[in-house]
Amino acid sequence: MAEAAKSSATNWDAADRRPPSAAAVRSNEKATPRANGRLTLSLRSGIRAVDPLRFLGLIIFVLAWYALSFLFQPIILPPPAAVLVRLLADFWDAPNLSYYGVAEPNLYANLIYTAENVAIAVLIGAAIGIVCGLVSARVSIFRAIVDPIMTTAGTVPILVAAPFLLIWFGVGRESAVGLVIFYVTVIMYLFAQKAASNLNPIYEEFARTLGAGQRQIVVDLLLPATVPEILGGLRIALAGAWGLEAVSELLGSQEGMGKVLEVLAGATDPEGIMATLLLLGFVAISVDAALAWIVARFAGWNAGLHSGGSRT
Amino acid sequence: MNPPSNRMIELVHVQRDFRRADGQRVQAVVDVSFVIPEGQFVCLVGPSGCGKSTLLQMLAGLLPPSSGGIVVDGKEVSGPGPERGVVFQKDSVFPWMRVIDNVEYGLKCRRVPPAERREIARSYLRQVGLSHVERAWPRELSGGMLKRVAIATVFANGGRVLMLDEPFSALDYVTRRQLQDVLLNLWSADKSGVRKTVLFVTHDVDEALALADRILVFRSGCQVDDIPVEKARPRSADSLLEPDMIAIKRKLLHHIGLDRPALPDAEAAA
Repeated sequence: MAEAAKSSATNWDAADRRPPSAAAVRSNEKATPRANGRLTLSLRSGIRAVDPLRFLGLIIFVLAWYALSFLFQPIILPPPAAVLVRLLADFWDAPNLSYYGVAEPNLYANLIYTAENVAIAVLIGAAIGIVCGLVSARVSIFRAIVDPIMTTAGTVPILVAAPFLLIWFGVGRESAVGLVIFYVTVIMYLFAQKAASNLNPIYEEFARTLGAGQRQIVVDLLLPATVPEILGGLRIALAGAWGLEAVSELLGSQEGMGKVLEVLAGATDPEGIMATLLLLGFVAISVDAALAWIVARFAGWNAGLHSGGSRT
Repeated sequence: MNPPSNRMIELVHVQRDFRRADGQRVQAVVDVSFVIPEGQFVCLVGPSGCGKSTLLQMLAGLLPPSSGGIVVDGKEVSGPGPERGVVFQKDSVFPWMRVIDNVEYGLKCRRVPPAERREIARSYLRQVGLSHVERAWPRELSGGMLKRVAIATVFANGGRVLMLDEPFSALDYVTRRQLQDVLLNLWSADKSGVRKTVLFVTHDVDEALALADRILVFRSGCQVDDIPVEKARPRSADSLLEPDMIAIKRKLLHHIGLDRPALPDAEAAA
């Protein structure tokens, strides 16, 4: 044991010069295969990142649901298969929804409506939140002004703003989107500010001695260095945004998954509700997985994001 | 080409105070004046807390002096700039850029065309022995390799003054010796004909003896000695054992306070 440690200690030259990783080896290849290699590599690492235990958990959940469905009436707990059949049927055409006054009597159009609202809200909220968060970390006077507002907004349960928004904007798109923008802005502000504050000042000092100006420090240091944490925050904001959008549609809207849920609840239709929730959950998880892939792809330098990444 | 300047770096009565949290004033650098001609390799030596790193920070333009003037290459220092490269003790290589992009970064900031700056960066990466990790991420490199990247970055940037703040103190003995050679080789191989003026802060007496043309000794913020080292390079381990070098080493140890056992001294104080 001690002998092995000694031999590895004396073998410093080999240790210091050996190729550190596959990334370095690829540098010798031509441009196109390298790009392909990188793409398949990130795909592979994405697949590797999927935990087989997650599937096990899912299977146990469905089995438990299936078993419980024998104990209750379908009106209380419909079996999984029936929910799935209902989902497939309602996806394109759900005539019973038109009976309750939903503009588009199918899940597909309402899903698009909800997804559109989430996308608009996340884009606007993230843009405002990230910019303000980054600026606040660098400009102390801006921080002094904005921090109290954001902290207060972050502490108050955001749903209490829904009645105001309904008064101001009515039951249209604007109310729901406004609520979600509010939420995403606060979350992204906090994440961006923390990411920028965590940046070690030695990088900025080094860049300045190399001749970097203010603009270059922002573009080449601040932005790339904060990408992993900001994208991580975006995943959290997005997950919350789906829920908040659905709830605000529930409170007052003529369209969307939330409206569908409200209508189905009024009709005491648990099968329909579960089918709708299943679809919403599936879409949210897919979007999150896509974002996780983007994080891994654009922040490959950050070891913490790679399950397989380690100091070689 | 201009002849080498005799006054590349000039410090005139430089002083730097800090205010501690308890409100007390601490003098980190006290009335320091010296002149360094172009191309000289100068080591700043002294015990920790003697103000040598503060001095370097001021020369780098990262910290303004409380009073006095610092002139480098005829211009008063008012902030950091690419003509004065700095290698820090801590890792400063950008983790989000590949090795080659790190080495190019200073040139990119000064809008050197991509093909040209890549060629320069590759040449310095080769000289520090890191061609094989050109496209690696910094997290994939060892501490010694990161220091090589930092040195290549600063050399590629082409400043005429190079400052190093205890750059190798966190490395093991063998890596440190290797990197000293890497540094000396780069410094000697300067194509422009005029070597960079180097200011190397260290608390390691042997490191100073192996590297320096001249050693400035500091204690409690004051410059206490200025010792020329005229030994020819490359200096082998044996050459450090010759009488003239040992005499210098004795002098340095005396300044640092290591020439007498610490314990009896403490007893005498008590």
